[in-house]
Amino acid sequence: MAQPVVQTIHRDPALFYWILLPITVVMILTGILRHYAMVLLQSTPKKQTLPLIRQHRSLMRGVNLRTNANVLSPSSFAARKSFLVAAFQSGAFLADPDAKGKPRPNPMTDPAAMEGMMGMMKGQVAMMVPQTLIMGWINAFFSGFVIMKLPFPLTPQFKSMLQSGVGTRDLDVRWVSSLSWYFLTLFGLQPVYNFILGSNNSANQVTQQMAGMNPGAGMMGPEQDPDKLFQSEAENLEVIEHKWILEGVEDRLLASLS
Amino acid sequence: MSTDLVNPPVQLQPEKALHLSQLAPQILKSSPTTSLPYPLSLLTTPESQETWVVYENLVFQCLRTGDDDSAKECLDRLVDRFGEDNERIMALCGMYEEAVAKDDKELEGVLKTYNKAIQADPTNMLLRKRKIALLKSLSRTNDAISSLVELLDASPIDSEAWAELSELYFSQGMYQQAIFSLEEVLLITPNAWTIHARLGEILYIHGQSPSVNDAEILKSLSESMRRFCRSLELCNDYLRGYYGLKLTTKRLLDVLPSAGKQSDADLPPPSTETVHKLHELATRKLAEIVRRSASKEKGWEGFDPAEIIAARELLDRETQKVDR
Repeated sequence: MAQPVVQTIHRDPALFYWILLPITVVMILTGILRHYAMVLLQSTPKKQTLPLIRQHRSLMRGVNLRTNANVLSPSSFAARKSFLVAAFQSGAFLADPDAKGKPRPNPMTDPAAMEGMMGMMKGQVAMMVPQTLIMGWINAFFSGFVIMKLPFPLTPQFKSMLQSGVGTRDLDVRWVSSLSWYFLTLFGLQPVYNFILGSNNSANQVTQQMAGMNPGAGMMGPEQDPDKLFQSEAENLEVIEHKWILEGVEDRLLASLS
Repeated sequence: MSTDLVNPPVQLQPEKALHLSQLAPQILKSSPTTSLPYPLSLLTTPESQETWVVYENLVFQCLRTGDDDSAKECLDRLVDRFGEDNERIMALCGMYEEAVAKDDKELEGVLKTYNKAIQADPTNMLLRKRKIALLKSLSRTNDAISSLVELLDASPIDSEAWAELSELYFSQGMYQQAIFSLEEVLLITPNAWTIHARLGEILYIHGQSPSVNDAEILKSLSESMRRFCRSLELCNDYLRGYYGLKLTTKRLLDVLPSAGKQSDADLPPPSTETVHKLHELATRKLAEIVRRSASKEKGWEGFDPAEIIAARELLDRETQKVDR
């Protein structure tokens, strides 16, 4: 079978100057703009109040006691255990002792949670709006242009990725349409932003989405009823099996060193 | 060179500190404050995270070596960058004020500003720690202890604060409380061999104090010995650990034969034979460390000279006794 004829399309060089370059430049500039917009929109994380810190860290103390109990002598472990269990069960460390036993409030009515959601919303909006605008702009002005040819051959599966907006079946996959170029720049500009803005910029939408996930996961934590956490930690402490690490340490040391 | 300033060791020898602080004028000159107008400044001033860590450490070292002017300069830049309300900056500024204060009266003034700031924002742990340090340097130890207890009530997983509390109690001769605090430190950092050894030291000293009875002496001595053992198990060439082990085992060898049966202890006291072996081990290891670090063998540098001298002195004392 003969080699298929290499497709040649004579492109106007103006395509390069008036489509390829503008799309690239606009994408980079929006990324930078978005970065600065995000910096401006970012609300400073709200400070925790002292009782909340106390509640959280006291719980951590219980966890520490549970995981590292073996450094303590049995008597001092027993003393700590009985103190912490009693305090946990009576809710002595709770930030808000009156709320003990009440059902937890609806997160929608909680202003603190709302604020967190607002932050996320702002991020989403700052991402979505320019994206929609630019895509509309490209669709309106540049759709249907084939603007460049990749210097390497590709399998036909890339056709949908590289030639969106150009409904030609027989066109070689190496030709890239303007809309596809937009998508490529959308996902591929992270290194450029890193170069211009430093490594922890918020220009790219992909990283944005990642960051959007994490506070969501973090938010679930404090949402839990602290009293329940304390009660379960008290139970964990009650059942722990204690062994002193100093037991027989002198023999271990002698065995290892002599 | 810069790595040193980014991440200096916790306990810096005086010469090193002086060396670092002498870098200050050079660093200050090489990074001028006046920057280019906005679009150009993007290209020229790579503000890395290290920049500010370097400045912060410079402040510490300059204050330590008495170069107050350079410290002020660094501090001003930090304030320019982060604003005066930043917790860390507040603590640094306070430290500078403390350093340049001429007498106790001025220090009292600094204390007042601390109190005001802490009242405004009780979550500012750094400033609360500064206040405690200031109380300590004003030798108001009791106030320092009560402030520290207050801090620890709010933040009981702060190992640094527990360790400091332990030292303060220790300085007051309240050994039980000091031991309790150190145990809290261990709960947070279970493998810190220095803390294990320190606990052994306090237990040993507690065992020496005149008020305790014989059973208590035996109990704290054997726990002390075991703490040193644990510390050595975690760090095999810990000079302080061997020093303490030698002291405790020697003392135990005196005490053990006369000791009666014990019932309330957590663990039975060690057998005389084991203690004897441990004593030998400690003596041997101490001699080895002293000898090797004196001849500056490779891999045996870095021991504190003062500790080496103390260890040698301990060994010499023993040999003299044998001679006699």
